[in-house]
Amino acid sequence: MNDSEIHARLVANVEGVGELDTSAGDPCVGVSADAVVDALGFLRDDDECSMEMLHCVTAVDREKQVDVVYHVCSYARHHSLTLKVELPKPEGADEHWHPEVPTACGVYPAADWHEREQWDLLGVRFTGHPDMRRILLPEEWIGHPLRKDYVYPSEHGGIPLELDAVPLYEREGESVGQPAPTPREPGAPLNQPPSEPSKRPHAGGKAPAPEKGDS
Amino acid sequence: MEALEMYTVNARADVYTEELRLNLGPQHPSTHGVLRVELGMDGEIITAARCDIGYLHRCAEKIGENVSYLQFTPYTDRMDYLASMNNNLAWSLTVEKLMDLEVPERAQWLRMICVELNRIASHLIAFGTYGIDIGANTPFFYAFREREAIMGLLERPSGARMLYNYIQPGGVRRDIDENWVADVLAFCDEFEKRWAEYNTLLSGNAIFIKRTANIGILTKEMALAYGCTGPVLRGSGVRWDLRRDVPYLAPYDDVEFDIPVGEGTHGTLGDCWDRYWVRMREMMESIRIIRQGCAQLPDGEVMTKKQKGMYKTPMKPPVGAAYVRCENPRGELAFYAVSDGEASPIRLRTRAPSFCNLAVLDQLLPGCLLADGVAVIGSLDIVLGEVDR
Repeated sequence: MNDSEIHARLVANVEGVGELDTSAGDPCVGVSADAVVDALGFLRDDDECSMEMLHCVTAVDREKQVDVVYHVCSYARHHSLTLKVELPKPEGADEHWHPEVPTACGVYPAADWHEREQWDLLGVRFTGHPDMRRILLPEEWIGHPLRKDYVYPSEHGGIPLELDAVPLYEREGESVGQPAPTPREPGAPLNQPPSEPSKRPHAGGKAPAPEKGDS
Repeated sequence: MEALEMYTVNARADVYTEELRLNLGPQHPSTHGVLRVELGMDGEIITAARCDIGYLHRCAEKIGENVSYLQFTPYTDRMDYLASMNNNLAWSLTVEKLMDLEVPERAQWLRMICVELNRIASHLIAFGTYGIDIGANTPFFYAFREREAIMGLLERPSGARMLYNYIQPGGVRRDIDENWVADVLAFCDEFEKRWAEYNTLLSGNAIFIKRTANIGILTKEMALAYGCTGPVLRGSGVRWDLRRDVPYLAPYDDVEFDIPVGEGTHGTLGDCWDRYWVRMREMMESIRIIRQGCAQLPDGEVMTKKQKGMYKTPMKPPVGAAYVRCENPRGELAFYAVSDGEASPIRLRTRAPSFCNLAVLDQLLPGCLLADGVAVIGSLDIVLGEVDR
């Protein structure tokens, strides 16, 4: 079946399914947040759709809204479908706003890790998820880095993380590490190693005199 | 013997041992990278398992939102670093779908040959390291010898030994030299003999079979529900391969190959040995594909003319989203790129095969002995660079 046939079947059987959007790139079916679990359940159990596998769950931050995109596919029927849930951002919401969608873990166990990752990186809360912890970032991480309104941390674990920080060796008034080398006078030879002239004859220095006593 | 059994039975009844919580990893050779598995142990038997990942997280998706489409290609190399060609291909196809780019025919065939060579190299690592997991050290050296030959072959057009960045949106970066095809064919002949050696060495080994057959049984239903793909899914008896069923690269239609699936030869369908044996047979199928590809390789350009200007000005795909799935050595890799018409995507999602295959580990481990747990992890053949991205 192609996308429009699956969409027609979905509309006829599940409430809350919107239009098939073919305007930009891959066709996708809009679904309301309340209907997404029913829609996924129908797609899996229906004989003609037979979507055995949830391929991917993605959240997309579009600044004014957060989309949650589900890619499902069928091995028996060789077709696939994209579902999209749009979650508009309320007025004045900041980086602490967590959009909510019901979890698909009950339909597809595969959703477990995918949803944890979207929570971790984009702060989408999947209600009813059995284990809504961070998965990639450390437990104590603050914020969700793939959000467009992410506030970059200034330190992590006591280590400063200033993105535009001046490197330590360029800061004025702070002596860190080795003292700055004295500037070389114009025309003076460049020494290698820096402190003393080379002993090797071809570099302009004198060869070390053979030690007396050797014969 | 009788006395020993009696003693064992009594010991289990009389001695109470409390559950032990055990950390497997993150620094453990059998976890194939930095994976930590929290285990609940009752003696030697695993009662509960929980994966902890993220040690190798390098923010690939965040980086993708800040670089141009072409600049992201080298970052895909570093996801599944054992199959860089395949990752490059998946990303290139995604960008081509967004941009609606045509790829010259010669480039498509070169892509297929390189990707299949890389698949063999990747499965060789799986074969070699699985031997080490089980306690057989020799196969590792055999596998690396042949992998070295493949790396030499792939180095000639790409200039790199592991992280190729060779397949790019619009085609491939450079054409091959004139002796390359002959050398690839010579390698194929050599490899067939070596493959027979591997089987006498490991596949049919009685100890190896005892360690892997009937261990870590993944049923077909469970594999589908957890989103397992690639050899892990085929090991459970599902004959599904994107190369045949949803061809994403034109030449796959023109070549003949079989799709090996698990048959429960030495035990139950979907056990560790089945997954291992699927990988072994896939190597030979790749050889078949490479031979046909070399025979049919057409002449012509290897990069679209349209793309050549893109090195100077970054390409800006039209508004839209593209989701492309590819059959990688470890399963189905998919990229989802959302474009808003600017030079970098607003969202870039990687559906990594190892990530999804690893998710089933929590269900496979309980009930196994600890030593068998190592065999189960190895049979999933994960690359942590891809799990954590």
